[in-house]
Amino acid sequence: MEKNDKKLNQKDEFGPAFSFSKEELLLELENLNRMMAAKDMQIIQLKEKRGEEIKELQAIKAQLEEAKGILEIKVEAKTKELRNLTESLEKQIKERTKELQEKVEESENSRVALMNMLEDMEELRRRTEQEKEKTLAIITTFSDGLLFFDPLNKLTLINPQAESYFEIDLNASKQLIGEKIGDLRKNPKFEYLADLLGPKMKKIFRKEIPMKQNLTLEVSTVAVGNEQSKVGTLVILHDITREKTVERMKTEFVSIAAHQLRTPMSAIKWTLRMILDGDLGPITSEQKDFLDKSYVSNERMISLINDLLNVTRIEEGRHLYNLILVNLEDLTSNIVSSYTEIAKRKSLALEYVKPEQKLPQVKVDVEKIRLVISNLIENAIKYTPVKGSIAVKVSVEEGRVQVAVKDTGVGILKDQQERIFTKFFRGTNVMRMETEGTGLGLFIAKNIVETHGGKIWFESEEGKGTTFLFNLPTAAV
Amino acid sequence: MAKKILLVEDEDLIIKLLQKKLVSEGYDVTIASDGEEGMKALRQNKPELVLLDIVMPKKGGFEVLEEINQDADLRNIPVIIISNSGQPMELDRAQRLGVKDWLIKTEFDPKEVLEKVIKQIGK
Repeated sequence: MEKNDKKLNQKDEFGPAFSFSKEELLLELENLNRMMAAKDMQIIQLKEKRGEEIKELQAIKAQLEEAKGILEIKVEAKTKELRNLTESLEKQIKERTKELQEKVEESENSRVALMNMLEDMEELRRRTEQEKEKTLAIITTFSDGLLFFDPLNKLTLINPQAESYFEIDLNASKQLIGEKIGDLRKNPKFEYLADLLGPKMKKIFRKEIPMKQNLTLEVSTVAVGNEQSKVGTLVILHDITREKTVERMKTEFVSIAAHQLRTPMSAIKWTLRMILDGDLGPITSEQKDFLDKSYVSNERMISLINDLLNVTRIEEGRHLYNLILVNLEDLTSNIVSSYTEIAKRKSLALEYVKPEQKLPQVKVDVEKIRLVISNLIENAIKYTPVKGSIAVKVSVEEGRVQVAVKDTGVGILKDQQERIFTKFFRGTNVMRMETEGTGLGLFIAKNIVETHGGKIWFESEEGKGTTFLFNLPTAAV
Repeated sequence: MAKKILLVEDEDLIIKLLQKKLVSEGYDVTIASDGEEGMKALRQNKPELVLLDIVMPKKGGFEVLEEINQDADLRNIPVIIISNSGQPMELDRAQRLGVKDWLIKTEFDPKEVLEKVIKQIGK
């Protein structure tokens, strides 16, 4: 308005140059003023707009600057990171290189060590090979037949001696390798052995198998390895043909000799008996005395010969059993009463203890069992000092009939107990008491009891007494 | 009349002893020293009892027993065996052949033989 006023004033100054009426001028001025106002308005608006634009630009600039700052920071960080990375890589490379160098050295050392080890191994292998060859040579040239079965009971080895026992050639024996014991049975030559060993390879000790005329083998098995690691089973076949022949000859000789001896023995026995009985005329008491003693000696001789005969028969397997069903009670009590006189002469109390329950029957060869019981009672009488006692008890124990002969005798020396049932064995303490005796009684008794499927054993204490017991399986009903 | 006994035995001493024992008891004893003689005497004499040994020359006791067994005239004559052996197998065989008794010489004496004889045929 001021400007407009000025203009107006100027106009005024120059009024005379223009010839406008005052109204016109006023109007015009008003228009101008209005226009000016509008223009001013426009200018103000523009100014405002400009201000805004500047503000915007400044904001953008600020943003850009900010962005620039961030970027710069980032670049810096990245650069640092890269530098670090490079450094660490270098370090790693260095370390790695060092490591590798060490490794190279190490492996060089290992290589040397390995070479040494290989050399040792080679030496060991060579030695093992040598040992194996040696073992094989032993097996091959061994005088006994050998068969080896692995833990699955498959045949893995058969030596030439065994091949010759079974009369098979190398080819046939090669075919047998790997066969199970049960399959070996199909070969008739192996039938007997396979049956003896059974499919599960029974433990066998010195079992005889007749192979053919003039060949008897004795079979034993040996488990190789231990419980944890079973290596297998070695089957040993030992030729006992010669022993068998010698044994048979010996048995025959003894048998014949004993028979031949018995004939004159019985003649002497009868003669003495008849003289003693007065059948051949009267004799003096002195003569009777001597003849009595001769008679007793002769009786001893007879019993020795009987023992010898029995033992040879047992060994020969000629002991034929005449098995009949009996009640052991009657048999035992009869035998006991037959010894009452003899026991009384020695002031021994001989007692028969009846069974508490009824005895089941047993199937036995009566004469042989009589021999066993008599022998046990005779021993008890012989080896029990005067005024001692003997008890014979029959009972049922664990389903078996048991006979026990208990004495208060001298007992069996501890270190001799193991041998008590062996042939011709006599305890040193009893030999001093009674010089007569073959040492065959218990051997025969054991054989008889065992052939009946029974068991014989004893309990003994030196100087206190002995109990001999045997049992027999009861007869199947 | 005395009862007739035939003793078949090859051992001279045994014969003499038994004969003495049996004769003293009043028996009429005939002797045969082997199986062949024994059979002959059996058929001729028809004894009431035979005492028979087993192991003898020419003909053994078992052969004699078998012949007796096959002969209807002789089958019922009682036989007692007197032998040096006495295995179960032999006893079985003798029993099947109808033998009355089996005496093992070393286990018996003449007195017991006499008792067995009396048991079979009386005095």
